[in-house]
Amino acid sequence: MKRQKRFEKLEQRPVHLDGFVKNWDAEGLVAENGVNDPTPSIKIENGVVTEMDGKTADEFDLIDQYIAKYGVNLEKAEQVINTDSLKIANMMCDPNVSRSEIIELTTAMTPAKAAEVISKLNFAEEIMAAQKMRPRRTPMTQVHITNTLDNPVLLAADAAEAAQRGVPEQETTPAIARFAPMNAIAVMVGAQTGRPGVISQCSVEEALELSMGMRGFTAYAETISVYGTDRVFTDGDDTPWSKGFLASCYASRGLKMRFTSGAGSEVMMGYTEGKSMLYLEARCIYITKASGVQGLQNGGVSCIGMPGAVVGGIKEVLGENLLCMALDLECASGNDQAFSHSDIRRTGRMIGQFIAGTDYISSGYAAEENIDNTFAGSNMDVLDYDDYITLERDMAVNGGIMPLEEEQSIKIRNKAAKVVQAVFEGLDLPKITDEEVEAATYGSGSVDMPKRDLVQDMKAAQGLFDRDITVIDIVKALNNTEYKDVAESVLKLAQQKVTGDYLQTSAVFEAGWKCVSAINDANDYEGPGTGYRVWEDEDKWNRLENVPWALDPQKLEF
Amino acid sequence: MSEVDDLVAKIVGQLQSGNTSSATTAAPAASGKELGGADYPLYQKHPDLIKTPTGKNVDEITMSNVVNGNITPKDMRITPDTLRLQGQIAANAGRPAIQRNFERAAELTGIPDDRVLELYEELRPFRSTKQGLLDTAAELKNKYNAPICAGWFEEAATNYEKNKKLKGDN
Repeated sequence: MKRQKRFEKLEQRPVHLDGFVKNWDAEGLVAENGVNDPTPSIKIENGVVTEMDGKTADEFDLIDQYIAKYGVNLEKAEQVINTDSLKIANMMCDPNVSRSEIIELTTAMTPAKAAEVISKLNFAEEIMAAQKMRPRRTPMTQVHITNTLDNPVLLAADAAEAAQRGVPEQETTPAIARFAPMNAIAVMVGAQTGRPGVISQCSVEEALELSMGMRGFTAYAETISVYGTDRVFTDGDDTPWSKGFLASCYASRGLKMRFTSGAGSEVMMGYTEGKSMLYLEARCIYITKASGVQGLQNGGVSCIGMPGAVVGGIKEVLGENLLCMALDLECASGNDQAFSHSDIRRTGRMIGQFIAGTDYISSGYAAEENIDNTFAGSNMDVLDYDDYITLERDMAVNGGIMPLEEEQSIKIRNKAAKVVQAVFEGLDLPKITDEEVEAATYGSGSVDMPKRDLVQDMKAAQGLFDRDITVIDIVKALNNTEYKDVAESVLKLAQQKVTGDYLQTSAVFEAGWKCVSAINDANDYEGPGTGYRVWEDEDKWNRLENVPWALDPQKLEF
Repeated sequence: MSEVDDLVAKIVGQLQSGNTSSATTAAPAASGKELGGADYPLYQKHPDLIKTPTGKNVDEITMSNVVNGNITPKDMRITPDTLRLQGQIAANAGRPAIQRNFERAAELTGIPDDRVLELYEELRPFRSTKQGLLDTAAELKNKYNAPICAGWFEEAATNYEKNKKLKGDN
């Protein structure tokens, strides 16, 4: 065929490096309304569910059994199953129906009913519904803090800068597993240097992650994965009962936690039972609710490539975030995995959550260059900061990341690097040199850092466990230095775990260790003039107005 | 507000008169009215209700007490009473499932870290026999006074048997 020149040029555009597939229902390659999705149903006899979504109790797998026992509000379940799904969908996006009114119904749906309701909404309606259903009034975001060398000085500096840009939660993970406790400590002290009250986590294997929380190196956890089919759940080496128990383990140590799920994980792991991504994700959301966990990270997450490849997949992803919030769960709404080669498309992928606002618009905005992101790259990274902030300014939206003056960044990065230097000295860890402090202050990535002795660092990281180091040792180490303010913050963070306040839904700490959650900062959106508006949030509005790259027209010389 | 004040007075009375550090104590407000959204954040509204596991007040967690050794890692733990109070707040804010989680968690506060990690491991698929899960349930009930968690293990035993997740089923 003789090529048409415009088509040849179009083929060169970045979007054509992305992968796309046509639907294949039998393998679960379908976003919503799969041909094999069950018809919603529920039968309750003497307070016990005897049938749910087309299966009788003796046919239940572990997930069905768990949801039927703990996940559905049975009081209204029969009423809701007999209510037209279109009507419930309409109530969800109608600002005249209050959030509390609709939650009575959504928490009484079955997974199949929930999938049917969500599938009735178009993208704009999902945005309208999401802005009402988000549990916390104030939208925020979460960042990733990682680098490929597990360099602790750079981790601390990046954590401090991200904290100053306004994020309340930071997630790290090691490139090499054995660095986990050292990374966790570096990010924790960096975050407390940046802004007291920012909480941090370190994503590793479940039992190791919990043990770091017990030592006080982390303050919360999020990568507690649940899945929508029994086979994949087992392949993930857990059951609903083990995950529900793990949730209680975290709470018993005063640690905040949320589960993780997302469309596409069952496709990736090969056992979808031929069901749609939305239906399987609905099961994950109900498992979370059933476990009494306060929140969920969902929205494709690390499997975003799967919903991203099928028709309507990005609508499905916003839909699963919406369902999470409609079950009154804190939602960290994905946007955390490198998704597309196209800048237009990766903006489109996050725009629904960005406009509506979720508890955390991204469950991992890369607060390092993507090349240093050991979660395999995020949808947005530090080099997108100014574009992202400009979008917030253009649309008058709080996307959770605020502008920062260069001078301020240098100052806080330098302090965090010196703090982690002091912690290493105090805990008798391998020396951090002044040259490294300088490099982390002015550098942008691990390529800018002097090389460390990785073997020595790895041994020292392991030694933190062998020596039974806890957060109290870190507090004492810092208190012997000029960084007594950071010592106080680390102690304050440990103290908060004794109070349990940040175990409640969507809880974070604002300035002055003020704990805000869906209880004392409940979303009160009821249409125009209500709910969160960034221009009523004076500090953030000023920061957006006065971005460093905006000119002051009254001071221009012509 | 007076209702809340009465309630607080009652709870404070119970706390002062009773043993607050044991995993076996009932929720302080179990006999009276419960805490709700207006009592949140607990640390801001009712700091006196929050104790450390050794019975110190949460406000005694200060730098000078850390330095002089009055506060140790043992104090840096949430107590079963605090978890139950937070459970009441969650339930009365419309989230009863969170309360159930916190009630399981309250029982787990009295179990050492290593044993807690082992308990989780036992519930993972193909790790335990049915009898093993039932033995653990008995241990939870008898040794740790954790009847809710014991029920969790018994329920897992039944469901793992039915759905083939016991040791040897893989």
